[in-house]
Amino acid sequence: MRFFQPKSQLGFARILAETRSKVPISPGLISLEKPLKKEGYSAYFEIPFPTLDNIDKSSKKLIWIFPKEKEEKVLSKSFVLTEQPFYPHFVSDSISSQDYFEYVESFLSFPEAFRQIFTLPITMTDSKLVNQVSQTDCSLYILTGLSSLFNNQRRLSELLVSLREKISPDIAIYVPGPISPAFYSFLVYSGIDFFDNSQAYYTSKNGYFLTIDRTYSNEEHPTCYCPYCMEKPPNLFKHNELIIKNALTRIHHSLKEETLRTLVEKDIHNKVSFAATLRKYDSVFSQSFRSRSPIISNATMKCVGEESLSRPVITEYRNRIRERFVPDLLSRIILLLPCSARKPYSFSRSHMQIRKAIKKGGRGIFSILSELIVTSPLSVVPRELEGIFPAKFYDIPVAGQWTSKEISITATLLNDILKRYSKDAIIINHMSGEGYKDIIQIVREQNSFTVYDTSQEASPTSDKSLSRLSETLQEIFSDKFSSDVQAPSTLTKKLRAISDFQFGSDTGRILFADSLKTKGKYPRNQQIFSEKEQIAILNSKNGFLSLSPDSAQSISTKSKNILEFGDIQVKGSNIFAPGCIKADNSILPNDEIFVVFEKQVVATAKAIVSGKDMNKMTSGIVAEIKKKTRVKK
Amino acid sequence: MKINTSYSESIKQIREKNLPSREHSRRIIHWEEKHRIKSEVVKALVFILPTRGCSWALSGSGGCSVCGYLYDNPQKPDFEMIMISIKDILNKKIQQEEEYSIKIFTSGSFLDRNEVPINVQEAILKELAKYHQIREIVLESRPEYINDKILQNIVNNIDISKIEIAIGLESANNKILKNSVNKGFFWEDFEQATERIIKFGAKVKAYLLFKPPFVTEYDSINDIFLSVSKIKKLGIDTVSINAISIHRGTYLSLLFEKNQYRPPWLWSLVYICKEIKAKFPEIRLICDVVAGGTRRGAHNCGECDKAILEQLKEFTLTQDLKALNHNIQCSCKEEWKGYVLHEKIS
Ligand code: SF4
Ligand SMILES: [Zn+2]
Ligand SMILES: [Zn+2]
Repeated sequence: MRFFQPKSQLGFARILAETRSKVPISPGLISLEKPLKKEGYSAYFEIPFPTLDNIDKSSKKLIWIFPKEKEEKVLSKSFVLTEQPFYPHFVSDSISSQDYFEYVESFLSFPEAFRQIFTLPITMTDSKLVNQVSQTDCSLYILTGLSSLFNNQRRLSELLVSLREKISPDIAIYVPGPISPAFYSFLVYSGIDFFDNSQAYYTSKNGYFLTIDRTYSNEEHPTCYCPYCMEKPPNLFKHNELIIKNALTRIHHSLKEETLRTLVEKDIHNKVSFAATLRKYDSVFSQSFRSRSPIISNATMKCVGEESLSRPVITEYRNRIRERFVPDLLSRIILLLPCSARKPYSFSRSHMQIRKAIKKGGRGIFSILSELIVTSPLSVVPRELEGIFPAKFYDIPVAGQWTSKEISITATLLNDILKRYSKDAIIINHMSGEGYKDIIQIVREQNSFTVYDTSQEASPTSDKSLSRLSETLQEIFSDKFSSDVQAPSTLTKKLRAISDFQFGSDTGRILFADSLKTKGKYPRNQQIFSEKEQIAILNSKNGFLSLSPDSAQSISTKSKNILEFGDIQVKGSNIFAPGCIKADNSILPNDEIFVVFEKQVVATAKAIVSGKDMNKMTSGIVAEIKKKTRVKK
Repeated sequence: MKINTSYSESIKQIREKNLPSREHSRRIIHWEEKHRIKSEVVKALVFILPTRGCSWALSGSGGCSVCGYLYDNPQKPDFEMIMISIKDILNKKIQQEEEYSIKIFTSGSFLDRNEVPINVQEAILKELAKYHQIREIVLESRPEYINDKILQNIVNNIDISKIEIAIGLESANNKILKNSVNKGFFWEDFEQATERIIKFGAKVKAYLLFKPPFVTEYDSINDIFLSVSKIKKLGIDTVSINAISIHRGTYLSLLFEKNQYRPPWLWSLVYICKEIKAKFPEIRLICDVVAGGTRRGAHNCGECDKAILEQLKEFTLTQDLKALNHNIQCSCKEEWKGYVLHEKIS
């Protein structure tokens, strides 16, 4: 059994906990020697001085730190550090593969208790031997030599991504040696779990004063009022140690909040090559990060810079809209709207004014109207989906400034969506401003739809624009509207769109009838009923659905969120890796998934890790049960 | 494979770059010092013969990563002059009523015929055999030259029980021999040579290298302990612990200049000697620190170096643990402890 299990995943970053006690232990800090105070450390090395008597015994240990009350539960309190028969990173080039092979051979021959820590020089990560080690219960890799790649964005991104793709998420990676705390967030995002306090030893010995984002000389640095700096003379080591501890808690917290990516985007400006590496992650390796980044979240998504445009969740969002969003069949008027600062958009003043103007278009107007909000960086948000993450949760510093890249991404997605509408639909463009103009230009060039501009000269919320909108709608309305056709309710349209987005194409129609009953009003969760039976809950916070097991059954052949389970009965409140026979590779962490045994949904659950990683794990929890199907006798 | 090809290649390149600056002195260097045999201290006469130098260092392998002796050897040795000088010095120095230990060093292997022709070996041994005052003769050689023929040749010319052959084993760990020292032979070769020497009735002394490149202080302490234990099992009772001193023109020197190597601490040497002598009192332990207390040799903080070097000298001469027990206190001792433990990880 592996020592770790992921408690949450965010790209390659995750919180790892000790398997049995579930105490979060990574991302963490390792002390090179037994620390006076254990707070802030996940583990420490215990390396006795060599003597003639202990040369043959492996007495070097890595001791894990747990709260007293949990110590009894843990799997093992320490790892044995076995010999590492190669050299420091600066000569790793001359380590022959033969020597490495010998090391791996002897490593594999150790009894299990001596096989918990494996040392991997960066030059050997492509070796097939690594695969053999990852088949064992080895829990911790010491990755040596990584800092030599810090300026080589191509090699760094290739190496870390391929390593993380290869090994299971319950294997932790420790990068030893002095590393600036300003790099922690980026490295954690890249899949590194442990650092050590050698940076504190190194800097204090050489007279450097650390702050969270930079290094100063000890002679001239910002005043610090921490208790160690107030000592006379100031204790530089303790101060630096405090800084690296705090750098790590900051990451821990952002992982809990699911805002790590925002932190990374801020921190990468400390190192140009990391910014370039991040762009590689988002372009070349986008799929690897996307398939591990939750799309169900409550976190506010602060978009800070250019890097925000291609965040994995945003790319995933655009892809899902492109692949899964289908407008209601009766839609004949496509209304393009600008976004608002306040989310969801309908709660903003501007959208309320617009809505008022729409209503003047005629009774029943909403049954043939499809609203698309055009925005950066999400590109297009159908009104039906304005309440889900990330549409409801993003935040951009300045609205209305479009780069040419954004314009082209947005226009492309918009064009793809427009193809789904009936040929005789009409577009009303109620947007104004430079970027919007360019987007509409591209839409006009590439489509045969008639486009009316209602906000050309003035802002969309000006009286002039609003009355133009009402008038235009009135003109078209009678043409396009027929009162004999029964249209689905606005709620149904919304739920169908969410379901398609969340569970897969075509699932919305199966789940939700044209009219539905609900209980509970915003900000409470909404319970959805169909003929007195509760079929789903709409979570008012994140905007996503939870299904009853029966509803889940009805879409189980269409949905992608399927975990094939090994038993008809689910015991306890978790799904463990050994019970998971196969998980769909498109499952993301936090996803609502359906646990299926021989085509029967036996439970609904919340994914802890991605489907890809469920398939790799051999122990530990992969999903938490939400509802079990009542067994009919 | 007893060598690491790419490593050996880079050592060779450094060697080739530095060889042109080789000196041409053909003078024998010799001096007198105190030396311990069994339970007494005698006079020792040390000769350094200007041969062409170590064949291993001259070979395509580049030689040992730490060794720059070659740069002191002349390109064309003059053996006639060497013989004349040896006879002359012996004649002048050896006194009637004293006992002597003779050390004949070449910065290579005395028993290598390519370095010291067989007739020269014979002539030197014959000359030494003339002096009954000589109790012990120390020769140095790599193991590959120690074959039955060459040992028989010694027997033919001198009482072989007086001979001690010193072999630079450096470490009993083949990985270190290959990837750190580029020694070109393995422990097994040393083992074989030892058996032969003992069979012929001579003695063996092993040199161990403390803190070769890429091996941390911690690992090297461990390695010395392991090596001593293995050597002792072969019946060898004299071990010389040679702390690294950084020779110019070597691979190690480059590492040092790039700040990737710190010479060993004197504290470590004290620790090693104490530990070994306490557990194996029967071993004659020699710890002559070359360039001790300097930047390129084993050193501490600079404050305590001299006192510790004195202790080590006294210990080597007296073989008495008491010599190491005068408690020298220095603030750098804590720093050393931390260093030994941290260097391992970071
Ligand atoms: S250490 Fe000895 S064997 Fe190695 S190169 Fe120098 S003289 Fe030759
Ligand atoms: Zn401070
Ligand atoms: Zn000192």
